[in-house]
Amino acid sequence: MALGKDLQTLSDQEVVALARAGKDAAYRELLRRYERPVFSLIFRMVRDRALAEDLSQDTFVKVLNALDSYRPEFKFSSWVFKIANNVAIDQLRRRELDTLSLDGAPDARTKDEVAATALQAVDRTESPLAELESRELGSMIEEAIAKLRPEYRSCILLRHVEGRSYEEIAETLDLPLGTVKTYIHRARHELREYLDPYRE
Amino acid sequence: MSRKQLTDTELDALVVRSLSRLPVRAPSRGFSKRVMDRVQLPSPRPVRAFQRVRSWVAQPRRALALAGAYVVAATVALVIAVPWLITHSPAIGFVFNWMAARGSTLARDVAVSAARWAVSSGFAELFGSVPLKTTHVWILAFGATAAYAGCAIGLHFLLRAPREKHVPAHVQA
Repeated sequence: MALGKDLQTLSDQEVVALARAGKDAAYRELLRRYERPVFSLIFRMVRDRALAEDLSQDTFVKVLNALDSYRPEFKFSSWVFKIANNVAIDQLRRRELDTLSLDGAPDARTKDEVAATALQAVDRTESPLAELESRELGSMIEEAIAKLRPEYRSCILLRHVEGRSYEEIAETLDLPLGTVKTYIHRARHELREYLDPYRE
Repeated sequence: MSRKQLTDTELDALVVRSLSRLPVRAPSRGFSKRVMDRVQLPSPRPVRAFQRVRSWVAQPRRALALAGAYVVAATVALVIAVPWLITHSPAIGFVFNWMAARGSTLARDVAVSAARWAVSSGFAELFGSVPLKTTHVWILAFGATAAYAGCAIGLHFLLRAPREKHVPAHVQA
C-alpha cells in the first residue's frame, strides 16, 4: 500500500523505470493514470463503448508490453496517446464509424445501448446562449466532433479535451506543428458551422 | 439577449469552453484486470540476462560444442604445458623456491603483525573471555555445513538445464 502511495508521487518516467524493472505495481499505476484519458479519446473517436473498451485494452497491452522500446526523452503521455490514436484511426479506416446516427451507435442492439449512445436533440425555443450552454450542449458538441474528419477529431480532442500543447500534439500525431494548428483551426471552424443553426 | 447577439467569437469561445467541459469517460469495472491479464510482466534485468545465457547454452548442440571445445582446450594445454614444464623444470624449480621463500617471509611478517596487533589492542583478551563451549563449536560447525549444503542445492536448481526451451517474449519480439 505504501508503495502505491509512493508511486503516485513519482513522474511518469520514474514509474516506467520501475515497471521496466519488473514492478507489478508500477504497471498498475501507469494504467490508473491513463485509463480514463485514453478511453475518453478512443470513445470519442469511435463512438462505441464496447469497441472503445476493446481498443483501449489493445492500446494498453501494446504500451505495457513495449515499455522497453519507450524512449524517456519523449513524454510518456505523448507516446501513449500516439498508440491510442493509431489504434483508433486504424479501426476507423477498417470500419467507417465516423458517421453518427441520432438514434444511437450503429451496433447498438439493446434498448439500453441505443439510449446510451443516442444524441439528444435540442429544444430551440430557449434563448441561444442559455440553449447552447445547457446540458444538451455536450451532446451537440459530441455529435459535431463525430462528424469531423478523424485527423481533425484527434487534434481537437487532444488540444481542447485533454489539454495538450500544440507541440505535444505534433509529436503525438507525427505531424508538423503548422499542420496541427491548421487542423485545430479548421476543426473549430467546422464545429462553429455545425452549431451555427442554433444561434439563428 | 437576442439570438443575433451570439457572434462568431462568442460561438468559438463557447465551442472551446464546451470541449473542455466534456465529461471524462471511464471504462467498465475490471478493465485494468483484463489488461493486466494480457500483459507479460518482465523478470528483473539480471534474471533475464541469466535466462538468456542459460537458454542459449542449454541448447543440446551448443552444450555439446562447448563441452567439446573445453576438452580440446584442456588437451592442447596439457600437450603444450607438460613438455614445456619438463624441459624448463630447473628454472621453474628455482622460481618456485624463490617465490615460496618470499611468500613464507611475507606470511610470517603478516602473522607476527597480526599477533602484535591482537595483543596490543586487547582483542586477544576479549576473545579469550568469550565463554565458547564444545556445544557452541558443534552448533557453528552444523550451521556452516547446512549453509554450505543449502548453497550447493540452490546452485543446483539455479544451474540445472531448463526442461523446455524458455525464451522471454521480448527476446522473441
